[in-house]
Amino acid sequence: MAITGQRFRRVATLAAIAGASAMVLAACTTSGEEAGGSGDTISIATTNAFTSFNGDTPQSNLDTNGMVGYLTGVSGGLGLGGFLRLDSDFSILKDESFGTYERVSEDPLTVKYTLKDGLKWSDGEPITADDMLFSWAQQSGYYDDATIDPETGEAVSGTQYFSLAGSTTGLDTTSFPEIGDDNLSLTITYDAPFVDWELVNMIGKPAHVIAEQAGVSLEDFTALLNELPAGDPAAPVEPNPTLKAAADFWNTGYDVTSFPEDESLLVSSGPFVVSAFTPESDITLVKNPEYTGDLSPEYDTLIIRFIGDSNAQVTALQNGEVNAIYPQPSADTLEALKAANAITYEGDQVAYDHLDLKQQSGVFADPVVREAFLKTVPRQQILESIVTPVNPSAKVLNSQIFVPANAEYEDAVAASGYDEFAEPDIEGAKALLAGATPTVRILYNTNNPNRVDSFNAIRQSAESAGFVIVDAGSPDWGTLLDGGEYDASIFGWISPGAGSAGLPQIFRTGGGGNYNDYSNPEVDALVDASQVSLDADELSQIKIDIDALTRQDAYGLPLFQLPGLFADNGSIKGLEYFGGQTGIVWNAQDWTIGG
Amino acid sequence: MGTTLVGFVLRRIAVSILVLVAASFIMYVLAANAGDPLQDLRGSSSPNKDQLIAARVAALDLDVPPVLRWFLWLGGAAQCLVPFGTCDLGLTLSNAPVTTILPAAMLATIQLVSVSFILAIILGVVVGIATALRQYSGFDLSVTFISFFLYSLPSFLVAVLLKEFIAIGFNNFLQSGDGIPLPMILLISAVAGLIWQVLIGGDLRRRLLTFGVSALATGSVLFYISVTGWFQDPGLGFIGVLVLTIAIVYCTVAVASGFANKRALLGGVIAGAIAIIAYFTLQGLFDVSSGGTIALLAVVTVLVGIVIGFAVGGNDRGQNLRVSIIVSVLSAGVVLLDRYMQSWNAYISSPRINGRPIATVGASTPGFQGDFWLQGIDSFTHLLLPTISLLLISFASYTRYARAGLLEVLGQDYIRTARAKGLPERTVIVRHAFRNMLIPIATLVATDVGALLGGAIITERVFAISGMGALFNASLQRIDLNPIMGYFIVIAITAVLFNFLADLAYAALDPRVRVRA
Repeated sequence: MAITGQRFRRVATLAAIAGASAMVLAACTTSGEEAGGSGDTISIATTNAFTSFNGDTPQSNLDTNGMVGYLTGVSGGLGLGGFLRLDSDFSILKDESFGTYERVSEDPLTVKYTLKDGLKWSDGEPITADDMLFSWAQQSGYYDDATIDPETGEAVSGTQYFSLAGSTTGLDTTSFPEIGDDNLSLTITYDAPFVDWELVNMIGKPAHVIAEQAGVSLEDFTALLNELPAGDPAAPVEPNPTLKAAADFWNTGYDVTSFPEDESLLVSSGPFVVSAFTPESDITLVKNPEYTGDLSPEYDTLIIRFIGDSNAQVTALQNGEVNAIYPQPSADTLEALKAANAITYEGDQVAYDHLDLKQQSGVFADPVVREAFLKTVPRQQILESIVTPVNPSAKVLNSQIFVPANAEYEDAVAASGYDEFAEPDIEGAKALLAGATPTVRILYNTNNPNRVDSFNAIRQSAESAGFVIVDAGSPDWGTLLDGGEYDASIFGWISPGAGSAGLPQIFRTGGGGNYNDYSNPEVDALVDASQVSLDADELSQIKIDIDALTRQDAYGLPLFQLPGLFADNGSIKGLEYFGGQTGIVWNAQDWTIGG
Repeated sequence: MGTTLVGFVLRRIAVSILVLVAASFIMYVLAANAGDPLQDLRGSSSPNKDQLIAARVAALDLDVPPVLRWFLWLGGAAQCLVPFGTCDLGLTLSNAPVTTILPAAMLATIQLVSVSFILAIILGVVVGIATALRQYSGFDLSVTFISFFLYSLPSFLVAVLLKEFIAIGFNNFLQSGDGIPLPMILLISAVAGLIWQVLIGGDLRRRLLTFGVSALATGSVLFYISVTGWFQDPGLGFIGVLVLTIAIVYCTVAVASGFANKRALLGGVIAGAIAIIAYFTLQGLFDVSSGGTIALLAVVTVLVGIVIGFAVGGNDRGQNLRVSIIVSVLSAGVVLLDRYMQSWNAYISSPRINGRPIATVGASTPGFQGDFWLQGIDSFTHLLLPTISLLLISFASYTRYARAGLLEVLGQDYIRTARAKGLPERTVIVRHAFRNMLIPIATLVATDVGALLGGAIITERVFAISGMGALFNASLQRIDLNPIMGYFIVIAITAVLFNFLADLAYAALDPRVRVRA
């Protein structure tokens, strides 16, 4: 108190601090911002997170990547920004506001793709045949000269430029395309007829962006594609550095862990374009300002939030944080949704579980034993315990090839007679066995409760007919599928819903997915014929015949389709069930706000 | 002494590195054997299935046995020790470098757990002390019951209940625009009255009086809130800020110095008065504030507290400093709270929020734009429920430790000596018992921090927050080794580090403990 000088210094210091603070404060303030976002917004929840703007590579082939790809262009051959997409019955929907394609010749198979004049990418650059040419180069593997080791799948020599989650099957037989109509059309000619030619969507990532990333102009890049010779695995050459750079960018450059600084990654041909992305949390799509097609939505913004927990999705829907959800289907989720007064959309997915019998070795080498075993499978009971709680209208699947949404399904069931196996016929099985008690080892995934339930139901029923069932289930079922230490297996296939290019995998002798050593020369011939069939009716008949032959050979039994589930809280209209891989967003362009 | 400490630290670091390396090996081999990273591809019917499998095998070296693959991983991880080197923790199954996804996950986790962690410690210690001082009273027994009850509640159930009642229920209430129903007001008032009378205690007459006064006060505040539509457009107003500031001054002085210390009281009153002045003068600045502004103001607040403490002087300067700093910070918090409340109405009427502010998922509203205050409210509405759910569980253990710790200390001879000297009870508790009570809490905090960065796997999943727990969970389900190991590194290092810090903290808190090399 007495030392006034010291006190004065303190006050002076205080004043100096206050003055300095005021100056710093002035530099550290902001002008006010508007609250909230603008425009009509629809929010939906999906289970998995978004990781890449290119969902067509092996590491990024995940459902949410595919959804964003579908909305902004083309992913997995389908999209709102391309020539075609699928309808809810898996028939092809053409988008003539984007362009048209037609088969100009059947022999050799020649398809001409024509873009509508005046289309633009979301960055204002025109969409031309250059983009289609790049898409062809990427999908066909034309320049690849790699020799792939069939055992490991690795390249032994040469270069494989683009790594695809899909395959080059079909387009790999095409020769270099012809470009015409003021650089708006592209015509490809197949050396061999290709069954799924209609599922080829001749557009993908923008060529001008790929060219820029490879360090060249679009003109030079197109010229390069024109000049480069087709790859020849017999005579591999040094990889072309520009094409390699372009391919490397396409392979991994679209993978993101944050909103990309380089906005060229976002360039879109579809009605939506990505405007924001928070990793592991949400992605925001807005209307593409340059989009002139028919599939433009009525609302302005679509937010996809990634919520892994199905119950969290339900409460978020109930609380109005999202307008619609696409949860992992389960009976609990459905019940919670009903309790929350949500509107649910149940249906079948294209994925289905099936029971396969080893055809060549062990106890099932005898067709009579196979037949007897199939007679014991309680398919209706399995369906009712696993699927019915989620999808009350579900039915037992009665085809190895078709799903009920397909037009051919009824005919296929009539031809094959798989529907006779709905209920077990224990007496019939006993009669076939004639007192024998064969031992059957069943392989399944012990970590999947559905498969465990299926196994237990089958075991109980088969044992009552005299079979001795050995539990060969394992969490490592995937590695064991290819081995021989089992007689029957329960697992699932995921089919794209449309197309026939997967048939040789499963049914042809020695096919990559033919784990049960199925071999029937007649089926092999039919499968080969199916791959070159260009007539829809003929193809349907071939597939129906294959289906019927698998029944005669007691190949195994399809069990059920996995259930699928969407729900909304009444705040948006236009949701419709679709079992394909794009899931809930397949008709996002048709949704409207208001309930 | 200096050399022993250095020796101790060096030895601990060397041992820690060995522990980390050995633990990472065990973790790597265990995780690698937890399942099949190619499982999703094996069920594929794609024509190029073999190639897809080959691509993943090549990308993640799956053809190398896990034991040897661990060396490859260790080689990459070791580069992180080289300053400015290329830190390589590998790629995830979807081609993302682990080094870029780890910081984001850590940030999300820290944002989620830090508030609940600090609140749990403060609340736990305060409630623990209160129960210890009222041992075997109705209050003590009720808190014991409630804390064990909360401790044994599964977190997913807490989450579901919170979502149902606090999020959906409260939002419905807000949207309906109705007032609080009268029976509800009566019920809450009665409960509040019961709590206060137990807390304050005394004979029957005093208890009845406490019950009546507190129930009446609670009821009238609720009634006021109800009729004025306060939840739609809340605010403390001058009266609210004044009342709360006075309460802060009163409580702080009562606990930290006692009213006998007039200078401390003076410092507290000045600090409170400055806060009231700031409430009137700073509103214009608040309107244009950014995060930086508020950070600066926070620093200024502490400085002001220090200056006041020095200015009032007195015999016990440390005590006066404490009082004025605590009052400055807390009353500045009240002013800040009032400013947030002023933005509440703008927040709930924003189209993205649509009148339903309390969120059940995520850490923020996607695409929500707004100033500092609106963003703050957005974080608050999103983190409220997960914070409560974490708090309810961890709070219980702190209460138990604090109660047991204080009771043990109070039974010691030096406390009896202090009382025999005629020291006031406040001084005995705050000055002599409190510090020694903190020693077991320090151990608990140290071990909790390690667990904390590990994230709260269930809470993160239920509230869709993409922190460390979610990262670990998702990676383990896909047998995605590199992110699992990234997660492991972070929590292992934190655990080792904080155990080490706890050892040093003992030495600081307890003069009987000496570090020896």
